[in-house]
Amino acid sequence: MTILEELERIVGRENVSGDPAITAAYSRDQHWTFVPPKNPAFVVRPGTKEEIRDVLMLANREKTPVIPWSTGINIRGMTIPTQDGSIMLDVSRLNRIVELNPEMMTATIQPGVTFGMLVEASKKHGLRPAFPDAPLTVSAVTNNYLRGIYQTSPRDGLDHILSFEIILPNGETLQTGSRLLKRDLPYFRYGPGPEIASLFIGGPGTWGVVTELTLKLYRIFEHQKIYYVGFDDLEKPIDLIDRVNREELVSSCRFVDTIHWLPPYLGTFDYEYETLPEFVVAMVVENQDRIFQAQDQIVQSYIAKSGGKILDLPQDLADNLKCEMLGAETSPMIFGFKGNFYCVGYYGPLNLLPKYYQDFKENALKIGFDAKDISFYANTIARFHGQSTYYELEIYFDSSDRKSVEMLRTLHARTVTNLLETGIYGWFRPYAGVIEPTLERIGNFTEYWKKLQNLIDPNGIMNPGKVF
Amino acid sequence: MEKISEDVLLRAISHCFKCKLCAIADFHGMGEEWLAICPSGSYYGFNSFYSPGRFEVLREVLNGEIDCGTEMLVKVAFACQLCGACYERCKEVSKVELDNAELFEELRSILAERGWLLDAHVRIREDVERTGNAYGEDERVEYPSSGDEVIYFVGCTARYREREISDAMVRVLDASGARYTVLGDEWCCGSPLLRTGQRDAASRLIEHNAGEISKIGAEKMVFTCPGCLKTFKESYPDLGVELLHASEYINDLVSEGRLQPGKLEITLPYHDPCHLGRHLGIYDAPRETLELIGVRVMELSRNRGNAWCCGSGGGVKSGFPEFATWTADERVKEIRATGSDVVASACPFCKRNLKDSGVRVFDLAELVSQALLRSDRG
Ligand SMILES: Cc1cc2nc3c(=O)[nH]c(=O)nc-3n(C[C@H](O)[C@H](O)[C@H](O)COP(=O)(O)OP(=O)(O)OC[C@H]3O[C@@H](n4cnc5c(N)ncnc54)[C@H](O)[C@@H]3O)c2cc1C
Ligand code: SF4
Ligand code: SF4
Repeated sequence: MTILEELERIVGRENVSGDPAITAAYSRDQHWTFVPPKNPAFVVRPGTKEEIRDVLMLANREKTPVIPWSTGINIRGMTIPTQDGSIMLDVSRLNRIVELNPEMMTATIQPGVTFGMLVEASKKHGLRPAFPDAPLTVSAVTNNYLRGIYQTSPRDGLDHILSFEIILPNGETLQTGSRLLKRDLPYFRYGPGPEIASLFIGGPGTWGVVTELTLKLYRIFEHQKIYYVGFDDLEKPIDLIDRVNREELVSSCRFVDTIHWLPPYLGTFDYEYETLPEFVVAMVVENQDRIFQAQDQIVQSYIAKSGGKILDLPQDLADNLKCEMLGAETSPMIFGFKGNFYCVGYYGPLNLLPKYYQDFKENALKIGFDAKDISFYANTIARFHGQSTYYELEIYFDSSDRKSVEMLRTLHARTVTNLLETGIYGWFRPYAGVIEPTLERIGNFTEYWKKLQNLIDPNGIMNPGKVF
Repeated sequence: MEKISEDVLLRAISHCFKCKLCAIADFHGMGEEWLAICPSGSYYGFNSFYSPGRFEVLREVLNGEIDCGTEMLVKVAFACQLCGACYERCKEVSKVELDNAELFEELRSILAERGWLLDAHVRIREDVERTGNAYGEDERVEYPSSGDEVIYFVGCTARYREREISDAMVRVLDASGARYTVLGDEWCCGSPLLRTGQRDAASRLIEHNAGEISKIGAEKMVFTCPGCLKTFKESYPDLGVELLHASEYINDLVSEGRLQPGKLEITLPYHDPCHLGRHLGIYDAPRETLELIGVRVMELSRNRGNAWCCGSGGGVKSGFPEFATWTADERVKEIRATGSDVVASACPFCKRNLKDSGVRVFDLAELVSQALLRSDRG
């Protein structure tokens, strides 16, 4: 039997195809200027865990690359094949909310469950997942498994996973955390002994296929206030951001440039953004009644001392940020400026923000980018030890314009080197373009990583070429 | 009908960042409910049947990587109602220049040029060429005429399949005292050919109808079929005639006092036809018409720009009947969830397909005609 026939036997003819009219749709994402398009050989859409297992066992036997695909919205080329003959394992048919437990404040979900679905279900219980700034169509399993950046990162942090189930390339299933001892008690991260989940978390489909994941939910507060504080320089806001995070006063805190990031926060392109200060700190204060009042007063006093100016925005626009915390529909508006968006995402300390951005801007201007297409984003993260902050340095560009693509490649190479020299904590997920220049700086780590990987995936079939 | 250049197409495709927000209804606007709006993707599941995936198929067709008209390619290109729900969402979030349905029509036209078409669609062209109508009916259906103030463009479906609609419209026109006429030799407007990529064949029809219309010199044309109206607005040369949907025209007649319908005093859900709503932006006029005749509108959960297609558009009813039925069944579930087995709409295609899935469908023209009886009875 050919691989196609075997796949058809496993998932049924209607759920597999090797026709380019099907495979083309999995060949390219918005990172295509860095990760060239490539069609997989087959797309398979299993409907059960058993079918996933059988596809993995077949691929393992045939030494054929497999790329797990949940919603394919990662924008970093993470599901684009690197080798001929790859099988795209589209698991979006597994889209069940297995359990939503208001008492435990948890959701157990399959990989095809999107944030939109999860928000809808958990809202009925006054709960919400930690929500990324990403479209609400992304898989909540993948995003959490890849560890995302959330609208509420200053309060909730980056890691919301309690336990999960993963099918390994040899077809065996591994449970993590408390589900290892009792499948219907999946609510605790640190099960019977040494923790294995953290080794797997963050792997872009390189260890196996996650088929079920239990994650934390958080309460939705009735009392919520949003502040947009404008600044005309990069230094002044640092003190305000540092204070509100150190004292755990805000659940959301983002420092951005006004022109590019305020439109998605307000949900409209139609506002006179150019009349506002150049930078803005967007913060959300939320809590129970009296705690909220107290927190809010302190935040107000810090804003008053910060030298910033609370922006006087129409209430309905200002309130749109609340929607984004329950499902981002407007954050993709950032793509609207030029059609495409480049960003290098990484973690570093807050106090380096001015240097990171100024270096980047200087380089981008030198290379020929227009000042109005250069932007940044900083999001602080709980707990605030080490002033942990997520950064994006961004360029808005048109990928159909070859010249700007070439300029971007030059800028990217310089930016990555600069950042590594200035000092960062790490990259936001491993992705093409940042991993390669990093290798020479991390010594024997890569070697050990490969050994571990080899234990689990000796035939190297799991999404090859996406980590080291 | 002009071809979009390859560069423009590729540029537009490059600007799709694969967020897939085009697959679901306005989340916050609908109270944080997860509601699918793309029938094609929801039914077939593979990414190629959603907008962002189909764009990549178009890219590979343009750059020659896809060079074979397989059955699957034809399915990917044609099993989509061109309902425009995807663009409605995309333009909210991306501000890029894509009009998804327009790009999919380009894909179809490229395939048609290479002869990669469905037999069912080729048959429609042959029927139109032979008989002047999309159903290949030889017998002509005649309509009365009372003058040349306004032309009622009947369209193939209201003439040959959903005759109650055109009969009702004629009753409404008679009651208003409008001096109207129906083209003596009305041919298919061209919509089914344009939607299935067969542009050359549509040109002949457009030329013919335009010639017939010019002979009359009417000030207005009224349409009960939003598909015909869209085609006239977008693909015909300017004929110097005001083009109106029946709802707009009826609302004018009522406000001028030329039509005095009674009140039906009923409550009905209203299904927004894609061609009327999303494509032409006409959402309020039909609702106003319903209000004028005492029909309280019960809004469906997916309405206006977020409406779920009836399933028949874009050549799907003829090309993929099972998919068309599934799409209509989904809409019918939503209609029945309101507690009603009856729905109002404003398009002969929608009437036909929803009716086939088991609900009673009344077109606006039919409801207005009934309301006129109510006023006659005093
Ligand atoms: C406009 C925009 C803004 C964004 N902003 C943010 C943000 O603020 N914060 C944030 O966190 N993210 C953000 N993202 C990124 C995006 O949300 C995530 O990267 C996304 O969740 C991952 O994509 P996906 O869920 O579609 O997974 P996929 O694209 O399907 O997969 C991503 C990776 O995980 C692997 N994978 C897929 N399924 C499985 C599985 N079941 N088991 C194991 N591995 C699997 C794949 O092989 C691939 O390597 C943004 C994206 C967009 C478009
Ligand atoms: S909403 Fe627009 S940009 Fe997003 S995937 Fe759909 S077509 Fe592409
Ligand atoms: S036009 Fe309608 S059916 Fe076709 S891709 Fe867009 S939303 Fe789906």
